[in-house]
Amino acid sequence: MFFQEITPDTSGYMIAGYATTFIILAVYVASLFLRQRNLKQDMDMLAELEKPAEKPAKPVTKRAKKK
Amino acid sequence: MAKQKTIDNRQRAIGDERQSSASFIQAIGAIVWKDLRAEFRSWELISSMLVFSLLVILIFNFALELDVKTRQSVTAGVLWATFAFAGTLGLNRSMAIEKDRGCLDGLLLAPVDRSVIYFGKFFSNLAFMLIVEAIVLPVYSVLYNTNLFQPGLLLVILLGSIGYTSIGTLLAAMSVQTRTRDILLPILLFPVVFAVLLAAVKASGGLLDNSTFADVSFSINLLIAYDVIFVAASFMLFDSIVEE
Amino acid sequence: MNQKPLALKVLDIVSLILLLAAAYLAIVVAPTEKVMGDVQRVFYFHVGTAWVALIGFVFTAVLSVIYLITKNLKWDRIQVAAVEVSVVFFLITIILGSIWARPAWNTWWTWDPRLTTAAIAELIYIAYFMLRQGIDDPDKRARFGAVYALIGGLSAPITFFAIRLFRTIHPVVIAGANAEAEGNFSMSGDMLSAFFFALFAFTVIFIDLFWNRIRLGEFQNEVEEMKLKASY
Repeated sequence: MFFQEITPDTSGYMIAGYATTFIILAVYVASLFLRQRNLKQDMDMLAELEKPAEKPAKPVTKRAKKK
Repeated sequence: MAKQKTIDNRQRAIGDERQSSASFIQAIGAIVWKDLRAEFRSWELISSMLVFSLLVILIFNFALELDVKTRQSVTAGVLWATFAFAGTLGLNRSMAIEKDRGCLDGLLLAPVDRSVIYFGKFFSNLAFMLIVEAIVLPVYSVLYNTNLFQPGLLLVILLGSIGYTSIGTLLAAMSVQTRTRDILLPILLFPVVFAVLLAAVKASGGLLDNSTFADVSFSINLLIAYDVIFVAASFMLFDSIVEE
Repeated sequence: MNQKPLALKVLDIVSLILLLAAAYLAIVVAPTEKVMGDVQRVFYFHVGTAWVALIGFVFTAVLSVIYLITKNLKWDRIQVAAVEVSVVFFLITIILGSIWARPAWNTWWTWDPRLTTAAIAELIYIAYFMLRQGIDDPDKRARFGAVYALIGGLSAPITFFAIRLFRTIHPVVIAGANAEAEGNFSMSGDMLSAFFFALFAFTVIFIDLFWNRIRLGEFQNEVEEMKLKASY
C-alpha cells in the first residue's frame, strides 16, 4: 500500500566520515606543531652550545624531552 | 682552393657525426658486453633470479590452490608477478655490483654521454631478465601443462620486460645510492610500473585464452606506447641522478 | 625562525572557520539525499579534498621541473611541503570514499579505475618520502626526490587511463558491480552551494597548511645549518 521509498539511516557513516576528517587534519596540525617545537628545542640547545666559547667543548648530549 | 676546403670541412663534420653515433653504440655495447661477460663467469644474477622465480611460482601454486581450469585464467597474472619480483632482484644486484666495484664512478669519468651508461645498463638488465624469462617459460609450461610458446606471448613478454626494465634501471640507479638500498627499489618501482604490468597481463591473458585480435592488439599497442614513454623519460632523467 | 607573519596567523583562523562553516553547510544546510541518506554528505568533503590534493600532485610535478632546472633548494622545500599536504588530503579523500562506498555500494573497496589509481598515487607519494629518508646529502635528496616525483606524476595519469581503457574493453556483466551506476545523484541548489563552499574551504586550508609546512621546512634548514657549524 505504501509506495514511498524510505531513506536509509546512514548517519552513522556520515559521523564516521566527518570525525575522520577532523581527526586526520588535527593530527597533521599537531605534527606540524610538535615538529616545530622540537626544532625550537634543538635550536635553543645549539645556541647554548655556541655561547660558552671559552669553556672546553661540552659533549653533546640529547636533552630529555619534556612532556 | 676555398671550395675544396669547404668540402673537406663538410666531409669532416659528417665523418665526425658518423663517428660519434658509431662510438655511442660502441660505448653502449662495451658496457653490455662487460656485464654479460661478468655474469657468464659468476652466474650470480641469473641463478638467483631463476631460483627465486621458481620459488615464487611454487608459492603461488600453494597459495592459490588452483584447479586446472582456474589455473588457465591466472597464468598471465602469476607469470607477470613472478617476473616483477625476480626483476627487482636482478635490477638491485646489477646496480649494486656497479656501485660496489666502483665501476659506476669509472664510467662517469669516461668521456661518454651519460645516456650511454643508461642504455648500457638498460640493455644488460633487459638481457638478464629475458634470459631468466626464457628459462621460466618452459618450466612453467611443463609444470602446468600449458603451452606458453606462442609468438604473440613472446612479443608481449619482450615488450613488458622493456617497459619494466626501462624505468627499473633508472629507479635502481637511485635506490642503490640511498641508505635503504635494496628494500627501496620495489617500493619505488611497483606503483610506477603498474600500468605496464597491467597492459602486459591483459595482453598475455588475452593471448592465452584466445581473445579477439582487436583486444590483444590494443593491449600490445598500449604496451608499445608505455615503453616509448618510459624509455624516453628514463634516459632524459638519468643524467640528474648520476651527477657527482 | 622568524615570528609567524600576521597574514599567516589570520589565515590559520580563517581556515578553521571555513572548515567549520563547510561542515555546517554540508551537515545542516544541505538537504538529505533520498536514496543514500546522510552518508552522502561526506561527498562534499570527499570531492573537496580530492580536487585540492590532485592539483597539489600536479603542482608537485611542476616543482620537480623547476628544481631540476634552477637547482635552488628552496623549490625542493616547497615540493616537500606540497607532497606532504597533498598526501594528507588525499588520505582523507580515500578514507571518506571508502566510508561512502560501504552503504552505497555495499563494499568498503572496489578495484575500479579511480580507486585503484588513487591507491597507487598515494603509494607513489609515500614512496617519495621513503626515498628521501634514505639520503643524507640535501642536494642529492632534492634531485632524487624531484626525479621520482616527476616519474610518479607522469605514471599516475598513464595508470589511470590504462585501467580505464581496459574496463571499457571488458564491460562489467555482473549486475550491480558497475561502480559508476550506483550512487549517482543530481545536486539541488543548497547541495551545490555546500559543494562549492567545501571546495573553496579546502583550497584555503591547503594553502594555510602548505604555507605553514614551508616555514617548518625553512626552520629545519636553519637548524641543520647550525648543526653543521656547531660540529666544526
